Amino acid sequence: MKNTYVLALNFFVLATNVPAQTQWPSLNGDESGRRYSTLKQINVQNAAKLAPAWKFKPATGATVVKGTPIVVDGVLYFTVPDHVWAVNAATGKEIWHFNRPSRGDRIANRGVAYYKGKLYFGTPDAHLVCLRADNGRKLWETPMADVHFGYYMSNPPMVVKDKLIVGISGDAGDVTGFLKAVDPESGKVLWTWTSVPKWGEPGSETWPSQEALLHGGGTTWVQGSYDPELNLIYWGTGNPHPVLNGRDRAGSNLYTCSIVALNADTGKLVWYFQPSPHDTTDRDATESVVLIDGVFRGQPRKMLAQASRNGYFFLLDRKTGDHLLTTSFGPQNWSLGLNKRGEPIPDPKRDPSPAGTLLQGSGTNWWVPSFSPATGMFYVNANIGVWSLTYLTNGAVQGGLDDHQGGRESALSPGDPALLALDYQTGEVRWRVGYGNPAGILTTAGGLLFTSNSNYLVAMDQTNGKTVWKTNVGGPASNAPITYEVGGKQYVVMSVRDTLYSFVLPE
Amino acid sequence: MKIRLAVQLCIGVVGLAAPLAAQGSRWWSWPADPDPQAVERGRPEFVRSCGRCHADNLTGTAKGPNLIRTARLRKDADGTAVAAVVRAGIPARTAGGSAADGKAMPSFQLADEAMSDLIAYMRWAVQKYDRVSPGAPPDDYPVERLLTGNAAAGKAFFNGAGGCNACHSPTGDLAGIAKKYPPVFLQARFLMPRPTKPRTADVTLPSGEKVSGELKVLNTYDVTLVSGGKTLTWPAEQVKVDVHDPLAPHRALLPKYKDDDVHNMFAYLWTLQ
Ligand code: HEC
Ligand code: HEC
Repeated sequence: MKNTYVLALNFFVLATNVPAQTQWPSLNGDESGRRYSTLKQINVQNAAKLAPAWKFKPATGATVVKGTPIVVDGVLYFTVPDHVWAVNAATGKEIWHFNRPSRGDRIANRGVAYYKGKLYFGTPDAHLVCLRADNGRKLWETPMADVHFGYYMSNPPMVVKDKLIVGISGDAGDVTGFLKAVDPESGKVLWTWTSVPKWGEPGSETWPSQEALLHGGGTTWVQGSYDPELNLIYWGTGNPHPVLNGRDRAGSNLYTCSIVALNADTGKLVWYFQPSPHDTTDRDATESVVLIDGVFRGQPRKMLAQASRNGYFFLLDRKTGDHLLTTSFGPQNWSLGLNKRGEPIPDPKRDPSPAGTLLQGSGTNWWVPSFSPATGMFYVNANIGVWSLTYLTNGAVQGGLDDHQGGRESALSPGDPALLALDYQTGEVRWRVGYGNPAGILTTAGGLLFTSNSNYLVAMDQTNGKTVWKTNVGGPASNAPITYEVGGKQYVVMSVRDTLYSFVLPE
Repeated sequence: MKIRLAVQLCIGVVGLAAPLAAQGSRWWSWPADPDPQAVERGRPEFVRSCGRCHADNLTGTAKGPNLIRTARLRKDADGTAVAAVVRAGIPARTAGGSAADGKAMPSFQLADEAMSDLIAYMRWAVQKYDRVSPGAPPDDYPVERLLTGNAAAGKAFFNGAGGCNACHSPTGDLAGIAKKYPPVFLQARFLMPRPTKPRTADVTLPSGEKVSGELKVLNTYDVTLVSGGKTLTWPAEQVKVDVHDPLAPHRALLPKYKDDDVHNMFAYLWTLQ
């Protein structure tokens, strides 16, 4: 009893007593993935006064800025596919611009990683590029995957101790996903973990054949998280392939649609949990895996939470992978319930079919959620109650050609986009604001939640979802909000379409 | 991870446009995309000579491997690597432990022009495979695939549990509906029609005054109506809004369909030729 109390207190101290973090040095601010800043100059009391500080519209290349900036030592770095900019974080003035034209999927580039004076980012042709942070000169580049098979890089690496952890994008060529650990000095690959096991190894029995396994998907689209104490890397993996055709890959298809924990030094799998076993409707599990230190049913625990593409909220013990909680945050008609591991059981009757299957789902996607240790709430922009017809087309479309989708989906009703505040201990929706946008979320020690809603950039009170500030600059945010402090001033930055917007409190 | 949810959530955000295309391109290629006319010239040759082993769509059969996934085709920038295999053929391997063991590929002597047309077709098939996005099936989706239900049961649902006859008649508004749309389109339409009338709303102002009109915007912050030719906007938190959505009955029906109802209903509507 007493021990528990002391431990719980320690957890509390850990969560709140760290020095205010003035930088935003990585995609999600830190390696926990929670997107929570300790800054509180801008807070619930004064946020209504937020005013534009500067804006930056890249002169070349960008029609939509989907990249989330990072800020290190007063310099803000951000990307669009093939391009990186360094901008003065206080004034919005360009310092340098780097361009490397390439051919490959350029649907998005999410940003850069920073490590010891160097920047790292991925390209449409799946190269990892290293630049000098001070002048943007290229130091080296190295391919991470073969663009000829549809691989590309949209996410920057995640810095873990002295390594860069690289995830990959692209699944058009029925490839498999992977994570690589790369030496930040040389670009040398130190280990590789693939999203499917080797044939004959544990997990391969969840595939019907080696051929199916080798083209099984599991793309590592979205950045993961890291626990330095356990030395474990956590990552969510994408859907199996072909996407809608599950008949050619009977079994649960490990480790697609999974949350995996890997040893950071060796890349060896330590545990896995599968949010969508044998997925047949693109319910990938790549969404943020957010680390939560707190209490669960009275016990202090190290946990991991994911609001998944499949409409379920999962809470796991991140040391063991043991399942603590599975709750659904929206209606669906494809799950028969949970298995004893806490994973949903897909209803085979809801698989795509030649005649069309009426499917209801709810979920979220790559836009990042946030967890606030101050409220114990997990915030996510979700889409509730989407209806569609899913078809298994095998050869019945485009003149007999198959494709990597393996089927088609006819949208019927788009569902209700909403911002949800989930109690991490129960999964209950504590509050909900309608008309959410597909944008990331930031929470701060100032009691605020920044995101985009109804085409406005907004700041809400974390505790109840009440809007305390909003501005309409012409559309929803196209990236995730960040905050940092330079020269004693706290800034909040978000992008809308082709421009970065920065906000501060007036003098 | 396709972009289904995003498309529904995004409001008018365009992915890419001209400025980027000038500097890089959306897709990797060979480096040029195949010429459509060459593709059409190459298609019959592939179907005649190669399809029986590799399938007309290149995805492979028991007699020959999937060519969509082969590096020999994808990484063959000038076409010479594929041409070399086609001209030389491949003798049967024996104990290589591969799926191709014991299977041979004959050689084919094609003129340069015919070879480049053949390769254009193969490249086109790879691009089709990779670049497809998961939207609705095309209009020519075969009706036979959809006709798995029972028309009589569909009719019973129409007049019974589905309650469709409260608003529709097979000899009135739905007469000839099967001729109006391609079959796969009809199936989506009866589940979720396109409205021909807009959403309307009654807005009650703080004063108690009521304004009715066509609903243009409704979100967390704004309500906009067009009423009597005027566009009126209010902060959402200050007014009460009653929405009239002509599709509300159809939305309410979606959770009521049991597995067979959809297919039975389609079979019935298909009789309304
Ligand atoms: C009788 C069956 C048969 C026919 C007809 C045939 N192939 Fe093949 N093909 C094979 C087999 C079997 C292999 C694999 C041989 C091996 O790997 O040992 C192969 C291999 C190939 C490869 C190499 C694939 C790789 O990964 O390296 C190409 C390219 C190819 N075929 C193209 C064609 C084209 C083009 C045609 C028509 C002009 C054709 N084939 C006709 C059976 C056939
Ligand atoms: C409460 C009234 C109501 C009910 C009940 C109803 N519908 Fe409808 N239906 C509508 C409305 C309204 C439309 C849209 C018509 C418009 O805006 O022109 C529509 C449209 C349609 C259309 C598209 C017609 C076209 O020409 O595009 C079909 C098909 C259809 N409904 C079938 C059904 C079926 C089948 C059922 C029962 C399962 C059903 N409806 C139940 C009101 C209803």
